[in-house]
Amino acid sequence: MLLFIFKRLLFAIPTMIAVSIVAFIIIQLPPGDYLSTLMADLASSGGSLEEGTIAAMRERFGLDQPIYVQYWKWVSSIVFRGDFGISFELNRPVTDVIWGRLGFSFLLAALTLCFVWALAIPIGIISAVRQYSITDYGVTFLAFFMLAVPDFLLALVSMYILSTYFGQSVGGLFSPEFVNAAWSLPRVWDFLSHVWLPVCVIGIGSLAALVRIMRANLLDEIHRPYVTTARAKGMSELELLLRYPVRMALNPLISTLGWILPAVVSGEIIVSVVMSLPTTGPLLLRALLSQDMYLAGSLILLISVLTIIGTLISDILLAIADPRIRLQ
Amino acid sequence: MTFHMTKRGLGKLAFGAFVTALLSTSSLAWAQEFKQAPMLDAKVESGGLPPVEERLPANPYVETMVDGIGQYGGTLRTTILANGDHYNLTRTIANELLVRWTPDWTEVVPSLAEEVTASDDATTYTFKLREGLKWSDGAPFTVDDIMFWYEDVFSNPALTPDKNPIFVVGGEPVVVTKIDEQTVEFKFASPYGLFLQQLAYGQGHLPVIYPRHYLSQFHEKYNAEGIPALLEQDATAADWVALFNSKVSVSFQPAYWQNLELPTLNPYVLTVPYADTDRVEAVRNPYYWKVDPEGNQLPYIDNVTWAKLDDPQLMLLRMTAGELDFAFRHINNSTYKSVLFDGQETGNYHFVDVKDLPANDATLLLNLNVEDPIKNEIFNNKDFRIALSHAINRQDIIDLVYVGQGAPSQVAPQPDHELYDEKMSTQYTEYNPELANQMLDKIMPEKDAQGFRLGPDGNRFTINFMVADVFGLSYPDIMQMVQQYAAEVGIDIQIRTTDRARLNTMWYANEQEAYIWNCVGGLSEAYTDVRCYIPFQKADIFFASKWSEWYSDPSTGEEPPQRVKDAYQAYDEVKAAVTDEDRLREMKEFLAISADNLFTIGISRPMPKYMLVNNDIKNVVQGIPITGNLWHPAPTLSQWYFDRAE
Repeated sequence: MLLFIFKRLLFAIPTMIAVSIVAFIIIQLPPGDYLSTLMADLASSGGSLEEGTIAAMRERFGLDQPIYVQYWKWVSSIVFRGDFGISFELNRPVTDVIWGRLGFSFLLAALTLCFVWALAIPIGIISAVRQYSITDYGVTFLAFFMLAVPDFLLALVSMYILSTYFGQSVGGLFSPEFVNAAWSLPRVWDFLSHVWLPVCVIGIGSLAALVRIMRANLLDEIHRPYVTTARAKGMSELELLLRYPVRMALNPLISTLGWILPAVVSGEIIVSVVMSLPTTGPLLLRALLSQDMYLAGSLILLISVLTIIGTLISDILLAIADPRIRLQ
Repeated sequence: MTFHMTKRGLGKLAFGAFVTALLSTSSLAWAQEFKQAPMLDAKVESGGLPPVEERLPANPYVETMVDGIGQYGGTLRTTILANGDHYNLTRTIANELLVRWTPDWTEVVPSLAEEVTASDDATTYTFKLREGLKWSDGAPFTVDDIMFWYEDVFSNPALTPDKNPIFVVGGEPVVVTKIDEQTVEFKFASPYGLFLQQLAYGQGHLPVIYPRHYLSQFHEKYNAEGIPALLEQDATAADWVALFNSKVSVSFQPAYWQNLELPTLNPYVLTVPYADTDRVEAVRNPYYWKVDPEGNQLPYIDNVTWAKLDDPQLMLLRMTAGELDFAFRHINNSTYKSVLFDGQETGNYHFVDVKDLPANDATLLLNLNVEDPIKNEIFNNKDFRIALSHAINRQDIIDLVYVGQGAPSQVAPQPDHELYDEKMSTQYTEYNPELANQMLDKIMPEKDAQGFRLGPDGNRFTINFMVADVFGLSYPDIMQMVQQYAAEVGIDIQIRTTDRARLNTMWYANEQEAYIWNCVGGLSEAYTDVRCYIPFQKADIFFASKWSEWYSDPSTGEEPPQRVKDAYQAYDEVKAAVTDEDRLREMKEFLAISADNLFTIGISRPMPKYMLVNNDIKNVVQGIPITGNLWHPAPTLSQWYFDRAE
């Protein structure tokens, strides 16, 4: 097992190098750089910076150098000094900026995952066990409906309804008075009263998908001979269901568990933008739009690292959950 | 309290009269006792803050009230976009200058300066500062701070590689001299009658945002030994220049709004910076140097908070839910107007007119210096531009795209402005495809099978139009219609959708054939900002960049034809004019020459825009004029107040 983990980590290194190069090139692909974006912004707001000032800033940021020099400077300071560079726009080290938001991203992803699993698994089971019943049709209809609704639309509509008819403050994870406050019991309560909406909106699409997956997996399993055998031996229906076929049906869910990690950083960008959530998604979008390249590059790098780690975790979890799976 | 001596009080006569007026108003304030906001009482009593008389200058600026004397207290809740929107912090609270425009944008009056004298030849300007002005940390603001800017920032090649053009005339930067502790002189090499106007706009902040007592520690000249230690603490700066630029920022770039320690002269000082949190917050500056006519220190409102929102839709929801007291940018367009109109009752706000009136909302800019010799020749044919102008049905575009909000017009000053010229505004705006066809038949008679005209080389004449969807002005929709109208007279327009950053690089490389943009110069900014009236290298208007290069330095670029040179010369005379009357006359002459050139093809003259203000807020200027560098509501924000029982 340890050898397996070690080998996987070793293979991750070339992947990371490749990803960092590709990420850096992609960020540089759009015409212009951070300063031309800045100038365009400034021009539309009526100001302007002199050419010489821009040139000096470009030199200062190192944006006038060829792309491979910029790449090497970035990567070497990450590897040798753990320095991810600075965010041009925020004028702060990239690591500070990302860490400030990662907490909420993880929290939101974890809460969403709990919400989705807590609902999807029982609903999927009911829908499979009572196949072609009214419940099954109802659930199926709802699931397809929810899959079809774009989540940003759901976000807008639910915010509109909450704000207009229930007078709740929408957007963000806190009421205005708590945004910059220290953690306290009222702040936790305020957080909880805000967080359920994004959790529901983000979760609802994957909830629907998961219900369908669970149903299909379980339907495959409950007609297997081992189920019949267990039933013949007089096992109670519920115990049988949970002990054997459900456990098998969970495999595909576990294998996608690892995808949660990268989704923490980049997932649900549009919903987060619409709802103004303090997560890393909008940060990535903004960094890409303003060509704040060290911030964008570091986020993309982070996403790829998390993808690699996430896949590894999934594999390990699968091996634990299902002894039939071997690591070779 | 009226400052209206003469219109556009810029000539020496107007200034003389003004100074007298000011002195009389200040004696009014002298006779009274100064009062302060209740939130400061405790701090003064405990000795944490000097009493209000000591915090105010000897002769504070007495603000003219819009509605009347206000009351203290409250928090102004407003909003900005989560990224790239620090300009709106600037527009809201940062506009303290040596001289300022009156809120109706008709004349320039002293502000931080108590008295301004212009020499007869418009080369020398003397500013006498108010005595006892203080930075927000209590340190005195004096001529030394202005000299620090001039000697150590403006004249330092590392901090200022290129001088800001408003301080440069004929290639020579301004010379600033300290006369005494309160008086400073700005001297130019040649006449510069527009200097005070320029200084009264946003960019005039340069001399007065550099507190010497705080910033000198980051300057090599004053703290060469201490800087290495400071650099070690700061992960983002590699040398003293970067360090200095991270503490204060020209043009209020983000660094300015990220440094809580930086002393300012603004009515509010930041308590939560523009960084990576979801809000920005500011609290009153206890040393603010303006009072109302009864001697109450301004501002009235205690705090300002900005919610950083990622999406304009969310701003809309918050506004209609009554969670914001003031909103302007991003949601004040025709798309959101009906929702905002319906939400007035629940949101407890009303609409206030904003005269955000550029010279044109949608202007077709053909590149008169385009590289392609055939296109260059045709674009430079004035009859071609006239024909294209006649081919466009402006009223249809305005009705369909701008829901009637606009009027057919070329690029020209607004009708209620002193510079309005009916001919300039309406020439060639009539929709007349027959006339257009007749004119084009003389230029390009041959057509291909699809009915498109052939250029002199026998190939179809195609204009590649760069179109970016910016400012919420629906340019892609407009260009679809323009393409149709052009096709009807046999001109092939190809639309190339792009974004602003791409366009920006194309402009500087002179790669675009044509693009559509909005054009400034609708009101008084026309005097100083002529980029739409002649090729003038600035910001985002590029229709003949080689000529404008030649204009700024005749050894570069491309020499323009005589008719363009005439326009340049006419503008030089505007700049040299000393009195208001001369300037107005020269400007009209210049605009007539510009109109005669028809450099650009305007489509729609804009209508006033709007902002949304809480019903309880008073002293808001109705129909306030604004433009790119005339910021708003900062100049009058300190007198806003909440008219409600506590």
